[in-house]
Amino acid sequence: MLDLAHISAFAELRSIGDGRGVIARERRGIAIATVMARKGQGAALAAAVKEQFDINLPRGPHGSGSDATSFLGTGPGRWLVTHDAGTPRFVVSLAQQLDGLASVVDQSDGVGLLRLTGPALLDVLAKGVAVDLSAAAFPAGSVAVTQIAHMGVTLWKVDEAPTFHIAVARSMAGSFLHWLEASAGMTGLAAE
Amino acid sequence: MRIPCPYCGSRDASEFSYSGDATLTRPAPENTEAMFHYVYLRDNPVGVHREYWYHAAGCHAWLKVTRNVSTHEVIDAVLAHDEAAS
Repeated sequence: MLDLAHISAFAELRSIGDGRGVIARERRGIAIATVMARKGQGAALAAAVKEQFDINLPRGPHGSGSDATSFLGTGPGRWLVTHDAGTPRFVVSLAQQLDGLASVVDQSDGVGLLRLTGPALLDVLAKGVAVDLSAAAFPAGSVAVTQIAHMGVTLWKVDEAPTFHIAVARSMAGSFLHWLEASAGMTGLAAE
Repeated sequence: MRIPCPYCGSRDASEFSYSGDATLTRPAPENTEAMFHYVYLRDNPVGVHREYWYHAAGCHAWLKVTRNVSTHEVIDAVLAHDEAAS
């Protein structure tokens, strides 16, 4: 009998160089889903999310909620939902709660999540992100769907430390780590 | 060239793919002569033009971009979906 072990997307995250310019930690065990509003159901979806989660569904590229459950605007009528409160079968119940209002697709094993912070973080991100991430242009709560070294990423700012969360397709996790190690090596990448 | 995506904000053109002339209307499929012109015979305008751009590496929305193709000045960008609905 084959023994299957669950290996997280960024299991190979490791410290590079000296220093703690960028501090990285993988967010593991997070339930992740994409939610797309059905045609003409935007208002009903927003009402359902408010009722079920007490979250104001963002209409632009912003996040609402908390680390426990957050809705991140990723496009017109599209959201990325993350849930870090351990509710069993969260995505299945989310799909039931939003039945008829939105299409819900489980991404929990398809997307890897990193939490990035550290004094050199903005300089390191600037090597890959062609979006203004300065505090004035990109305050906490902002979301950007963009690309780093041709890899699609969804990143959002959770506080002004600054701390960013970044979501990358699992199939790109190895290549993304390569970019992160090469870009943060100069100031040190500390894996936690 | 940067395109002001109505959803995402100002983004580099490399995030978008050009998706054709936005001034054309698709003819009825049985009108083969008109369809031939629509598909194959492209105008090559100068100055201000309207184009479809798809934000492939961002919000995945289709945009209608008003752009001066001679100077690359981007004048306006709206969600094609919003314009179709209005």
